[in-house]
Amino acid sequence: MLSYLVAILTFVFIYAILALGLNVQWGFAGLVNLGHVGFFAVGAYTSAILAKLGVPFPWSLTAAVCLAGLFGILVALSTLRLREDFLAIVTLGFSEIVRLFLLNESWLTGGANGITAIPRPLRSLFEQGYDVFYAGVLGIVLVLLYLFLERVRLSPYGRVLRAVREDEVVAAVAGKNVFQFKVQAFALGAAIAGLAGAFYGHYLTFIAPEIFVPLVTVNVWVALIVGGGGNNKGAVVGAFILMGFLESTRFLKDFIPMVSDFRLAAIREILVGLFLVVLIIYKQEGLLPEKPVTDRP
Amino acid sequence: MFEQFLQFVINGVVSGGILALPATAFSLLYGILNFPNFAISAYITAGAFLFYALNATLHLPFWAALSCAFVLSGFMGVGVDRAVFKPMRGRRHLTLAIASIGLSFIMENIVRFIWGNELRSFDLPVARALKFGAMRVGKEQLLILLTAVGITIIVQALLRGTRLGKAMRAVADNPMLASVKGLDSEQVIRRTSFIGAALAGVSGIMVGVDTIVEPLMGFKLVFSVFAAAILGGIGNAAAAVSGAFCVGLAEEVSLIWIPATYKSAVGFGMIVVVLLLKPSGLFNRQTAR
Repeated sequence: MLSYLVAILTFVFIYAILALGLNVQWGFAGLVNLGHVGFFAVGAYTSAILAKLGVPFPWSLTAAVCLAGLFGILVALSTLRLREDFLAIVTLGFSEIVRLFLLNESWLTGGANGITAIPRPLRSLFEQGYDVFYAGVLGIVLVLLYLFLERVRLSPYGRVLRAVREDEVVAAVAGKNVFQFKVQAFALGAAIAGLAGAFYGHYLTFIAPEIFVPLVTVNVWVALIVGGGGNNKGAVVGAFILMGFLESTRFLKDFIPMVSDFRLAAIREILVGLFLVVLIIYKQEGLLPEKPVTDRP
Repeated sequence: MFEQFLQFVINGVVSGGILALPATAFSLLYGILNFPNFAISAYITAGAFLFYALNATLHLPFWAALSCAFVLSGFMGVGVDRAVFKPMRGRRHLTLAIASIGLSFIMENIVRFIWGNELRSFDLPVARALKFGAMRVGKEQLLILLTAVGITIIVQALLRGTRLGKAMRAVADNPMLASVKGLDSEQVIRRTSFIGAALAGVSGIMVGVDTIVEPLMGFKLVFSVFAAAILGGIGNAAAAVSGAFCVGLAEEVSLIWIPATYKSAVGFGMIVVVLLLKPSGLFNRQTAR
């Protein structure tokens, strides 16, 4: 039971980090990213491949964050000068291209079989309780990231991003380089997804393209919107609610007997989709609506 | 070599014909509702499975099943608009795009719940391919192309020649002005939703006639659809048809150089190139907003 709870907590932390990343893009700057899972996958694979080559974890983690951020810059550069709709299409396409690459370039990624036996950092120091340690480290990373993003949100920089989100013409008239701010926000969010990916891969010790499907992106959107976009607290709370929701749907099996596995999987995905659509229609501001930021004295 | 090239061109024209339908649908919906409707992938899949139920399960003949599936898909589009998009009229258009992703998940998984993940094919007589030298044109391919081109011509005529078409263009152009002039914009939206979902549904049927039906078939096609619409100039239904044939040809002919596993990357590549070089599209006289 304890190990189950620790595992759930680890996934909550991963999703919370992902949601914080998406929040920088959507919540802060109003940029829509429908391919978050692509950056997550880039982070996971980068760190896993490097670690298998013997690169120490801190460096493989750094490389994962940087590469995901770099892809964020590239994706942003291709569309950010245009209507926002194009960014939605290109990000979704990006995540599919990443999956296609992972599936087909077996020499690098192991193809459909993925990468196995990804080393767990500092594993040899622990006789037992490693999972608790890992969850603890991830929790600390989450707290640090949260504090960092809170600073960003309350800083003049965060204020500019909100201005860009609300009305980019006004922001531009005020002398802000709107394009540059958008690229930075998008890249930061992508890099955070890469961070989550690296920790995810080393935790699971196994990654494959089938893990990095669009459903992950939808999950992160659910977490962000249920908690409340625009504020970091909402993203973290949303990750807890999302995981509670996903786990409770596992017990559907006990209530609806005689249903085959693929049908149960379909029901779960229908529920996630329904959750997202209903939230957007009826409670778009989420449980913790964004509060107006007042300048501190 | 040359004949191999011609074979790819033939295949490209056929897939261009298939793409023309959902590309037109996507552009029409975009023009009226002003957001990229990602649920178009689920409309494609749903149309194919409706046809499957009518044709393979209920044994209706081809044209009867096609007509029924067309109408049912259309009503499904109207129902979906009423349930999901109508409560959100006037919201930020990106929010609707996100909702449409959730919607496509719901619809695709309803299909998966009912029919499962297996690959299926329609109950159609197997016809021998016509041969021209070393080139082969399947009778199915001819059927697909003729159906697609026929429907495309009807839709374009509808858009240019009828009151509905005029009203659709008026609402797409300036909804405020259209409603001042007494146009019932909700009615125009309902009719556009019907046409859009029906066209997407028929394209799913065409894909099924050409290959197989499975729950992810729409999602696999959707980037080519976006590419066609963007190539034509997003929101411009007539240009989307030209875009569709370009994308169809490019995807098939590129198979000479790239492995088939990367075929779906071609559409995405075209999207990026067009957005970088000429975001207003290749066949659009208007400028991008």
